[in-house]
This record gives sequence, C-alpha cells and structure tokens, in this order.
Amino acid sequence: MDIKFESIDGKSFEYRVMMIVFAVLAGVGLLATFYIIQKGLWVTGMYTRVPWGLQIVMAVYYIGLSAGSLVISGLYGVFGKLEYKPFARIAVYIAMLFLIAGLLSILTDQGRMDRVFIQPFVHFNLQSMFSINPILYVGHILICVLYLWALFYEKKKLTKIVATLAFGWAFCVHSGTGAIFGFGARMLYESPLLPASFVAAAMASGTALMIIMIVALFKLTKRHVDDELIIWLGRFLAICVIVVLYFLAVENAYRAYVVELRSAAVYYLFGGMHSLLFWIGLIFIGLVIPMIILFRRKTGKSVKWIVLASSMVIIGVLCERYVIVIPGLTYPPELFAGMEITHSVIEEGIAKYQISFLEVLQAFGVLGVTGFMFGWGLRYMKLLPTEARALNHVAASK
Amino acid sequence: MDRRDFVKTAGGSVILAVSGTYAFRILTECSAAWTKIDSQPSGRKWGMVIDITKCPPDCTACIDACRYENNVSHHEDERWDVNWIRKVSIEGHVGKKKTEKSVILVCNHCENPPCAQVCPVQATYKRHDGIVIVDHHRCIGCRYCMIACPYNARFFNFKDSEEWPNKNRPKRSHGVAESCHLCAHRLDLGKKPACVEACAMAGNNAIYVGDLNDRESDVSQLLLSHAAKRLKEDLGTSPKVHYIGL
Repeated sequence: MDIKFESIDGKSFEYRVMMIVFAVLAGVGLLATFYIIQKGLWVTGMYTRVPWGLQIVMAVYYIGLSAGSLVISGLYGVFGKLEYKPFARIAVYIAMLFLIAGLLSILTDQGRMDRVFIQPFVHFNLQSMFSINPILYVGHILICVLYLWALFYEKKKLTKIVATLAFGWAFCVHSGTGAIFGFGARMLYESPLLPASFVAAAMASGTALMIIMIVALFKLTKRHVDDELIIWLGRFLAICVIVVLYFLAVENAYRAYVVELRSAAVYYLFGGMHSLLFWIGLIFIGLVIPMIILFRRKTGKSVKWIVLASSMVIIGVLCERYVIVIPGLTYPPELFAGMEITHSVIEEGIAKYQISFLEVLQAFGVLGVTGFMFGWGLRYMKLLPTEARALNHVAASK
Repeated sequence: MDRRDFVKTAGGSVILAVSGTYAFRILTECSAAWTKIDSQPSGRKWGMVIDITKCPPDCTACIDACRYENNVSHHEDERWDVNWIRKVSIEGHVGKKKTEKSVILVCNHCENPPCAQVCPVQATYKRHDGIVIVDHHRCIGCRYCMIACPYNARFFNFKDSEEWPNKNRPKRSHGVAESCHLCAHRLDLGKKPACVEACAMAGNNAIYVGDLNDRESDVSQLLLSHAAKRLKEDLGTSPKVHYIGL
C-alpha cells in the first residue's frame, strides 16, 4: 500500500504558540541549570542522605517512554504489520527524542557537567552499570537515526534489520536502566526483577504516550486515523499494564515475605508520601482503573476512553519511577545489627526528601527542549502520514 | 551426504567449536576477574582498628583533626556537611539492660569496594596498599558511589567550601564525591593519619592504623589479641576497619 508522508506547514497559530511555550520552558530550564551550576547542587534540595532527586526520576521516566514508541514502530519494522507503517516514522523520532531527554536529565544532574563528555568514555569501567548504560543510550540514539534514515528512504531490507536491532537494543537499554537500581545494595533497590519490570513499565508508558500522540496529532492536523488501529494499541497497552501489575505484586510480596526485608516493605507500602503515590498514583490511577477501562467492552472500544486510560498510565508510571528511586534512598541501611543509632551528626534514620522548585524547572526545561525538537521535526521532516487506515480498509480501497 | 555438504558441516563444526572455546575462555576469564578477591598476601595493606571502649562519647579530637588536615568542608548544616569521620551513639539491649556505645564511622576501605565498582569513570579506586581513594579531578559527580556504599560513608561536596585551614592540602572542590582516604598523603611519608595522632594526643589511643600484612604491626597484634568485628560482614565487601568492643 502507498502511504504518503507530509510535514505540517507550521503556520498555524496553535503551532506557533506551542513552539513558543516549549522555547520558554527550555529557556527557564537552562537558567535554572545555570543557577544550580553556579551555586552547587545543594540548591536542588538533594543532600547527603538523598543524593538523587527528581532529575534521576525523570531521566528513568523519559528513557522508559522512548521504549514504547520504539515498540510501535517495531510493529511494522519487525513484525511486518503493514497497517502500523504510518506511525513508524513518528514513533522512531519520539523514541530518539525521549532518549535524548533522558540523557539531558542525567547530564544536568551531574556535579561536574564539564567532565561528562570525556571522562566516561576515556576511563570506561566495565563493572559499572553507569558506564555500560551510556554506551547503550548513545547506541540507541544512533540506531534510531539509522532507523529513521532507512524509513525515510524506504529501504525495506535495512528497515527490517535495523528495526530488529533497535527492538533488541531497547530491551537492553531498559534492562540496563533498571539494573542501575536493581543491582544496587540498597534494601529497596536490590532485586533481579527490577530490570524486567522496568521493561514492562517502559512498554506500558511508551505505548500510552504513542496512543495519545497519535490521536492528538492526527486530530490537530486534521488527518484521518482508523479507530481500529487505536483500539488494538489499547489492547496491547492493557496487556502491558497487567504485566507491570504482576511484577509489582511479585516484588512486594517477596519483600513482605522475607524477614530481612519486611520492615523495608512496610516502609515502602505504608511509610509516608511515597506510599500514597504508590497506592493511589501507581496502583489505582495508573494501573487498575486503566485496566478496567481497557477491558470493558464498551469503553475499551472507544478512542476517547482509551486516550483517558493512556493518560492515566502515563501518570501512573511517573509515580512508579518516583517510588523506585526515592524510597530506596530514604530508607536507611542497617549499620549495626540489632542496635539503634540514637545520635549522629547526620540524619541516620529515615530521610526526608521534597521535590524542589528548581528541580521542577529543570524537568520542565528538558521537556521544553524535547517538545521544541519534536515540533521542529514535524515541520521540517515528513514524519506524519496523510492518513492511517486499518488493514481491511486498505484491502477494500485496493 | 555429498562432498559440498560434508565440507559445509565440517567447516561449520570447526568454526562453532573454536568460537565456543573462545567464548568459554572469555567467560571464565571474566568470571575470574569478577570473583577475584584481592587478598594481597604480600606488600602493604593498610587497615584500621578502632577500640570503642577507649573512645569517650564527648571527645571529637579525631573529627576536628581530620577537618583541619583535609580541609573537609563544613557548612553548619548537617544536610550538606561532609563528614569523613562521624561519631554516632548506638543503643542496644542485652536482656533488660540497655547498652549505650559511642562509635566512630569512617570509610571502611573495603577489599571489594562497591563504590569503586560502580564508579563510571574509575575516579574511585583501590590503591595497591588497600586504600580506597577518589581522584577528585576525574569524578563527574554522579553520586552513584553514594548509592552503592552500604555504610553511608561517602559524601558529596554539594556546596563550595569557604574554609581552607590547611594550605598544604588542596581545598575541597565542589561537585565531586569523596570519603576518608586514610590520610594517604601522610601514610606515604611514613606519618600516622591525622585522626590517629589526635586521638593519641587526647590520651585515648582508640584508633590505630597499620599494615595488616605485617604480623608485628599494632593493628595485627590488636586483632590477634582481641575479638574484633567489622560492619555488615555478610555483604562480602570485606571492610578493613575493625572494631573492638562493638
């Protein structure tokens, strides 16, 4: 089937407003980052006990979002589902952008950003997950570029090869990202399940993002997309959500069951703000309600409901990223078995962490950069098809 | 089977066998490198023994000396203060009796340091004499080492340090992680670490640093004559800081 791809003309009022908003966000984020570099990282509210904050949460989240988009493009590239070819280009482009966003978040979180571009590549440490991951990330971006090139020039064989490579690579990227935490010695981090559950959550959030993007973009640019395509994606999302829920259940059941980890599990599930995010944000809003929506016959076949469910999954996975990163840090290691630290010069018990305003500005900044690049791509590259039809319609039109 | 097929099968088998052997060799070598416990049977291996029964709860001589010697940054705010040595009070129960102890915590200079393992730029590394040290000109400030350290012994310079009491040693630079380096610069010159000297000056003699590979050294003798404990030994990090009386 012939699919025409066209860029948008980018002269509409809405497009200009969108680009200005993204530019402003990016500018604000840049200013915030400069301020943080000037003053030192303490202004972000991170401290000795909680040395990682919102930027790492966002980095992990963005990297996860990039996966799902790649899955959508893989539907055509790897599995040859022709009806998803219209979304292949935009999906790869979004996958690339969000990986860049993740890298930007990590970059702006470093104590010495000036050294990041040289040292990790010169003094490579094969034993460190933080050393292996940049290779995976940079490789992922390069593969995405090659993939886009193959799609743009309609190289069928190359597309298939690169798509398969990208698909496998994406799994490594997300497993690697999960391993940063899963292979760590903190009580609430250490878990061989984490890399796998990272892949599942990444698939769920990425698919949800693509559903929203496709519906919004096609509607805003007045292009036609068949409901069936979205409904099928909704079903795929529902499966991802179940897998995420399953991994969460296994992981938490394990922690609650093993005596050594029980107190940590209690802290995780019922220990404060993060527990609210876990139960309400992740389980209830992020997984259970979307699952109900997607599985009910009536709502599961309505694009509006599917978009709603997707938005909820996106919020839920953001909460998931937060409850992976932060409680693992705030829960203290037990330094003296059977004894309690009553006095110290630093906070030794359960630490407190609050997201600071500057961190939020930085996160928005990264979003602004990503959004701006996205808008730019829409205007100057032929990313969007003129229409997207389900397979039976394609056959009928022939 | 004709000749062509035979050549194909035979060639394929040879290639498979050779590559398999190589893959196996690489794997075993990797696993050997990963599981190698560098026990350093020869040469110097610095270690520390802390006798907490001799450490009075209100004395801060070692901490002050460390701050002065190494220009460790201090901001009057516990959240961002860097503490190469920190003193904690711990409380436990023996039967119904409450026991209280005062312990100093430093970097444990592990034989298998998780901080060095995770450092993406090898800025944290273990010297041949067992000291775990940070090259603060190389550190990118990712703070992964702080996450990996099971003892909360690593600190990050969140703020620029205003004080610079000891002009012979570098001012601590901001944006990098660090921890106790056992006063490596003093040990290399044959002097004792600042905390050990200060503790002796204060008349407590609770901290000893010496060569664990030398049977005659203070630390070895103490370890031979006392039951000493290390923190979280079950983790396999094999700390080189030993506690007497814990």
